[in-house]
Amino acid sequence: MNYGRELLKGNTDSLLLCLISSQPTYGYQIVKELEKRSNGYFQFKEGTLYPALHRLERERLIEGKWQILPNGQQRRYYYITERGRHVLVSKLATWQDFSTAVQAVIQPETA
Amino acid sequence: MTSSASHYLNRFRAYLRIDQTIRDDAAEEIYGHLEDKTQELEENGLSREEAGKMAAQSLGSPELIAQQIYETHAQGSWTEAFFSALPHFLAAFLFASYYYWHNIIGLSIILALTVGIAVYGWHRGKPIWLFPWLGYYLMPVVVTGILLLSLPQGWGWMAALIYIPLALFVFVYIVRQTARRDWLYASLMLAPMAVMFGWFLSVGAGNELLANDMWLGRLQAKMPWIVASFIALAGATIGFIRLKPRRHKILSLLTPPVVVLLSVALASRGNIDLWGWLILLFSLSAFAIPVWMQARAYQ
Repeated sequence: MNYGRELLKGNTDSLLLCLISSQPTYGYQIVKELEKRSNGYFQFKEGTLYPALHRLERERLIEGKWQILPNGQQRRYYYITERGRHVLVSKLATWQDFSTAVQAVIQPETA
Repeated sequence: MTSSASHYLNRFRAYLRIDQTIRDDAAEEIYGHLEDKTQELEENGLSREEAGKMAAQSLGSPELIAQQIYETHAQGSWTEAFFSALPHFLAAFLFASYYYWHNIIGLSIILALTVGIAVYGWHRGKPIWLFPWLGYYLMPVVVTGILLLSLPQGWGWMAALIYIPLALFVFVYIVRQTARRDWLYASLMLAPMAVMFGWFLSVGAGNELLANDMWLGRLQAKMPWIVASFIALAGATIGFIRLKPRRHKILSLLTPPVVVLLSVALASRGNIDLWGWLILLFSLSAFAIPVWMQARAYQ
């Protein structure tokens, strides 16, 4: 089992909600942004993003809207919902507590 | 669109058996992703075809994405499960109440409720819970055909020659329309018909169906089994709506015919004539064929 991959899998929702909350965005841009912000650390199979987006939308945490580009191409932009914001705040708080606790255990002097 | 993208999207669409609007949206979104990625790779010096091929590869298996998206949408809510199972519970209640109280008022209320809910579902964009109800609406079409055979000699066959092709046309048309959305929905729709048809024909054939006392007496003797089979059908329907993996849905749908076959065999103690068995098997196969086709498509 790849530990890093498992960690990413467990935190996909938080990462996606966090990115979408900063600005409405679309699938391909999300992949690029995740890669950029994590300095290339997060490189997941691109296709796995879409089932996650569908799941978040079904849970009404995000909302997808089609936009037509000047070249006629359509893009589905995702917006965070009020419910999504609440969930994100709660997830980030949990993550912060978890991270602090882990830090305190592995490096007691810096906690 | 590159040939790789086109091939990828065809595989994705073929595997994603969900509501057409959601499927079209999902395919359009994947197409946009492929286009963006292809363009980026082209800017890095690859040819369009090479870039398209690499873009498709980086997305991963279209079947896997389709399966994961399907599972996201496949699980219905408890409300949908309740509405899907409700007609079976009503059928069970109807048979049980007739057996104990000969309750005509109850029957009228159930019929009014049934029609009201169907009209509501139809105007709400034919949600998944409407399909089991549709199966009950097809019942009169089929039963009328059987009853026509009981008309006086000559008339029965003449009526049947006109009616049966028309009834078959309606039946096949509705099944095909349903199957276009998903083969499993056709089975979900036909399941109650298979059960009800099987039970009626297990108690008598042809002219016997009009000789009230005979077949009604037999039907009453089997009533607890009939009620049990409709409750089993309701349970299987709830399972179908709530389960996520497609395989589990298929397994859930296969339960009712098995229960019916066992119930019919147990209740009749083997006393079903050849005609009854033939019609029973025909109705069960009409139900099972969509499941089988889906299983083949799944492989």
